[in-house]
Amino acid sequence: MARVGQAFRAFFGILSGQLPADIAQSFGWVRRDAVKSAPAAPPPPAHKPADGALQILGILQRDARLVDFLMEDLNGFEDEQVGAAVRGVQEQAKTSLARYVKLAPVIDGVEGVYTKVEAAGPLAKDGAAIKFVGNVPANGKAPGGLLRHKGWHAQSVDLPKLSSGQNPAVVAAAEIEIE
Amino acid sequence: MNAQYVIGVDLGTTNCGVAAARIPAGDETAQVELVPVAQLINPGEVSEEPLLPSFLFAPGTNDFPAGSTTLPWDSAPRFVTGTLARKRGSETAGRLIASAKSWLSYAGVDRTSALLPAGAAEGVARISPVEASRRYLEHLRDAWNHARPGVPFEQQRILVTVPASFDAVARDLTERAAADAGLHNVVLLEEPQAAFYAWLARHEDWRHRVSVGDTILVIDVGGGTTDFTLIAVTAENGELRLERVAVGDHILLGGDNMDLALARFVEEQLAAKTRLDTMQLFALWQQCRAAKEALLAGTKADHPITLLGKGSGLIAGTIKTKLARASVNQILLDGFFPEIPSTEVPQRQRRAALAEIGLPYATDAGITRHLAQFLRRQGDGLAMPTHVLFNGGVFQAALLRERLLAVLNAWAAEAGRPPVRPLDGEDLMHAVSRGAAYYGLARQGRGVRIRGGIAQTYYVGVESSMPAVPGLAAPMKALTVASFGMEEGTSSQVPGREFGLRVGEPAEFRFFSSASRKHDEPGFLLDEVGSELTELSPVEVELAGDAGGFVPVVLESAVTETGVLQLWCVARDGRRWKLEFNVRERVS
Repeated sequence: MARVGQAFRAFFGILSGQLPADIAQSFGWVRRDAVKSAPAAPPPPAHKPADGALQILGILQRDARLVDFLMEDLNGFEDEQVGAAVRGVQEQAKTSLARYVKLAPVIDGVEGVYTKVEAAGPLAKDGAAIKFVGNVPANGKAPGGLLRHKGWHAQSVDLPKLSSGQNPAVVAAAEIEIE
Repeated sequence: MNAQYVIGVDLGTTNCGVAAARIPAGDETAQVELVPVAQLINPGEVSEEPLLPSFLFAPGTNDFPAGSTTLPWDSAPRFVTGTLARKRGSETAGRLIASAKSWLSYAGVDRTSALLPAGAAEGVARISPVEASRRYLEHLRDAWNHARPGVPFEQQRILVTVPASFDAVARDLTERAAADAGLHNVVLLEEPQAAFYAWLARHEDWRHRVSVGDTILVIDVGGGTTDFTLIAVTAENGELRLERVAVGDHILLGGDNMDLALARFVEEQLAAKTRLDTMQLFALWQQCRAAKEALLAGTKADHPITLLGKGSGLIAGTIKTKLARASVNQILLDGFFPEIPSTEVPQRQRRAALAEIGLPYATDAGITRHLAQFLRRQGDGLAMPTHVLFNGGVFQAALLRERLLAVLNAWAAEAGRPPVRPLDGEDLMHAVSRGAAYYGLARQGRGVRIRGGIAQTYYVGVESSMPAVPGLAAPMKALTVASFGMEEGTSSQVPGREFGLRVGEPAEFRFFSSASRKHDEPGFLLDEVGSELTELSPVEVELAGDAGGFVPVVLESAVTETGVLQLWCVARDGRRWKLEFNVRERVS
């Protein structure tokens, strides 16, 4: 569940507006915003910046029922029962997340081992990509340290284009069966 | 403009596949590649997938958000085709068109009338099985054309596969669907033959793997149909030749039936605890398919089946159960591939007199029984093959291949014949489209061709000239008009019988076929229309002109270069009229 959990923290971060601009940009809507504000674009903005986040929530609900799971009160259920359901949810969520978001570790190393900052490649220069913890020097920088968490980096996001009739705020439609 | 590609189209009951090869210049070797098909996989999401599921969904106003069914080549398609159609159709079956191909071969209904979706509510627009087939072909055409501008699909050499058991009428309708989609001169090829071409292409040393006198049994079990074909290895001028010598009856039985049988079984197990809703039943079907594949491929004793709760409560209603290997073995092996003596025949259940209009599914699920009947029908005793080639996704399970082989070998031992050798298969899911493309190249003179000709013997009904008995219809005799094996590009006059046709009035002939009577020559008269003959849609002709005239004609049969049987009336002065299949009338 670690991957999905991480991804989720990221999405809720997006929802509450706490995500660094560069990652938000990699999700595609800062750019989109810029296009919209360009004077040459005549049609009024049909979709709002948060749409991408809502859209992926909708996708994870559609494919894996993830929102149903997150919103459910787990008190009163045996671990075994939760486990039975989660296995399927995680499998599906992972598949569909992989389909739309290409996630890779910031540092592809072994956790618990001394690792140089350069191991992050081009991201090494990105202040937001590496967080120093513990005995951090006064200048806030260090050549390396024990890798505690590999981090996650969305290398690309490829969400389907929303059509005019789609309302991403409807994460899952209510269903009424006619018998 | 000359064709640049040969394209093999597997127009399947549950999935369509496309393979293509650039026609090589000179001595180059042609490479056959699978062609992915762009389609909607979710609302607003178009993706290239290896196969196009053969499903059409007629969306109502609220089925999809506005604009979310747009394709790169069509901003507002009337039907959603492929993966999304199948997904949405599992929730709203009344708008889903499935198994159009099975309907196309069913003489019990007018196949040009709008009757699909079969269970549609009133007010939902319906289309004919021919139109449904046309739409699949159009989708394949448009997806190709979108991906390859400047290489129009309709101008390439196209081969469309049909079940070997398709009769002349179903083949004619398939050709018509292609023509409606703007594809003229498509060549039809039988699926088991296509699978064998794929094997040939993969084994350039095939001449060392089979020898004169061998017969190869191709068993093709698709999603919805089972098809048998026998191919004999013969020699001519010292060269090995391949000849398709027999095809089986049309059996509506396939892999989907197997998954459904497992789902039914699990549903019954759960019935004591809970009642499943539509969505859960569909999920159960999918899970059973996955469990079947896992169990047949591995060694585990069981596979978990988890159905998430109904409604928004996920954990609360989660149902957990297991599918045991023993159950899968029992249901699939004993149900579909039972170990039976070769003398056993499929059981025929008597159908209710007032059967609802629906597809004539096989009443006996035992594929081995159908196989025994097929092999028994080829002459005296059991026609044991020397080799067997499996095709269809079902046979990805080694266990099922092994069971069939074991059954065949038991029969071989019984008949005092050596064991049957399996031919290593091609990619079981894509061999048909690949093989069709190879055949397209073979038709260009690059590679061996299987000689086959038409797969059945055809007859027209002739009323006997017995004195009329009040209250009794005159007995019907059957005149052979085209023999099994009649080759593409040949024609044959039916001797011995002249018919008088009235000008300005339609004349109609009853039309029959037989897959088992292979030695009746044109002109041969059967005294009785027995159980070996299957009645097809009638054929009719109308001679234009002033009413009242009377023209004596003889019948002539011809097989086009594209593999379609035609019947003609020929007058003494050489004038000719083509007999058309009348699929409007229901055969009772």
